Amino acid sequence: MDDSTKRILQRLIRRIPSQMLQTMLGKWAHLSREDLHSLDFTQPKWVLTEQLLALCEENGLRVKHITELEMIYIIENPNQGMWHGFQLLDAEEDAPSIELTQFKKQFKANLTELISNVSIKIKKHTDEAIWIRVAWGDNFTKPNHLKPTYVVHHLQTPYVFVTGLTSKYKPLLNQALVLATRYGSMKDAHLSGRNLTAIRDLLMRQYQQVFPTKNPKPLQEKNPVPRNPNIEKEHAENTENRLQMACEAFGDGTLPQLQKAVYKLETKFRDNSNKTLTDREEPFRGVVEFASTNLLESLRHCVSSGMASTPVTPLLSSITQKGRNYFVITDKGV
Amino acid sequence: MSLLKPFSRLTGLNTANILLVENEEQFQQKLADTVVLQEKTVNVNVLARSLPLPMENEESRPRIDLVVFIIHLTSELSFQSAETSLKYLDPGYFQGKVCFLVTSARNVSVPPERLVSVRTLAASLHCPLLCAEDQTTEGVTTAAHRLLAILKVAAGLVPMATSLYLSTLTRCTVPSDIDQQNFE
Repeated sequence: MDDSTKRILQRLIRRIPSQMLQTMLGKWAHLSREDLHSLDFTQPKWVLTEQLLALCEENGLRVKHITELEMIYIIENPNQGMWHGFQLLDAEEDAPSIELTQFKKQFKANLTELISNVSIKIKKHTDEAIWIRVAWGDNFTKPNHLKPTYVVHHLQTPYVFVTGLTSKYKPLLNQALVLATRYGSMKDAHLSGRNLTAIRDLLMRQYQQVFPTKNPKPLQEKNPVPRNPNIEKEHAENTENRLQMACEAFGDGTLPQLQKAVYKLETKFRDNSNKTLTDREEPFRGVVEFASTNLLESLRHCVSSGMASTPVTPLLSSITQKGRNYFVITDKGV
Repeated sequence: MSLLKPFSRLTGLNTANILLVENEEQFQQKLADTVVLQEKTVNVNVLARSLPLPMENEESRPRIDLVVFIIHLTSELSFQSAETSLKYLDPGYFQGKVCFLVTSARNVSVPPERLVSVRTLAASLHCPLLCAEDQTTEGVTTAAHRLLAILKVAAGLVPMATSLYLSTLTRCTVPSDIDQQNFE
């Protein structure tokens, strides 16, 4: 194995946490059972790395096998790095009937046509998602396996999720995807986050949604929750209303984990106490950013506890309704 | 304006009613549960976010013996909401039937001016000011215990003690008052 391959393997082993290493290697299945048994996983990682390097050399494993291991690790733990959502537009007639082999063939053909030195790996996961790993190279350099791009696409849906893509290769990937999926174009869905499952759930509306009803109280068949007869809540109706509106805007139960919402303002400055800024013609540019470990949960709590006024402002509710977390606000509207 | 009146209703036998007013609606539930647990035969708790109380419940609401304003010092809104709610209380309540309960007084990030303004407010209204710790169960139990003691007097369940008498002993004073008394 040459130096670059060794380096890739070393980086990868360093990246995988020790607890997961044994399962990952088992799933990889390129090392025989005896080899796996011979590894002692209680040793420090650098010792393990040396042993693994030796084993891989013995078995004559090459870059493409190592990238398989990386792909297995990323598929099991997708919630790292920054994922961006894209939406495909203008479906052509046969877009809904694309199936896996056709897509694979088309995508590989398109991308290698656009840029000759790429390494592509396509894998179908159990939950009907297609995972694509692309390592980019130039006309003169081999593909760089240390900075790969991962793409997740669910067939028959117009959504694509990408991580690790530089702007240099973005148009190439776009074109290859658009041609392979038989759509007209691809646009940025303005949704990004660290958690792939979260942005997938948000974009494809797979979280528990609450729809506005005229009679929100359930039927009186079941016994109500035993409330202490000695304690009376004066504003119970208000609290229920607020909770209902919060759930309608953001959803019920566990919410997808978004980290940020960014609002870029391009509106005129409006404050009567500050004359110098108000009289300017050009828009006042500002950026408002909401950040949290679980943004939707925090916003829902703000609304249900009364901190944010109800009805929920469309600026906040459009995070879930439109499935995006980057907004540009101009004077004419969002 | 719909004022909450202290003597507009007949009292019940062996009952005492306490109204907990809190903008955040979090501590009041824990406090209510503990109070009811501690004294099983006596009371009814009413929980509100702010005054005025909704008109719909006017008929079924019992006579309120003690109104407690829970102010979280970590939030300015808490204090302002309590201040505006005060306007909806009949003056009859201020003879010992109102109490201020303050949380997070020991918190370092709280601006000290806020506690001072709560104290001046309580002192101007001749009401007691209690400090409570709402994060631990012992704190909640202690606060419930103290509130129950004042409640029993306010409901007339303690012989030879009235709420007005108790309030002259427990009312909050602002430090400048004490200094003036000392040096005169």
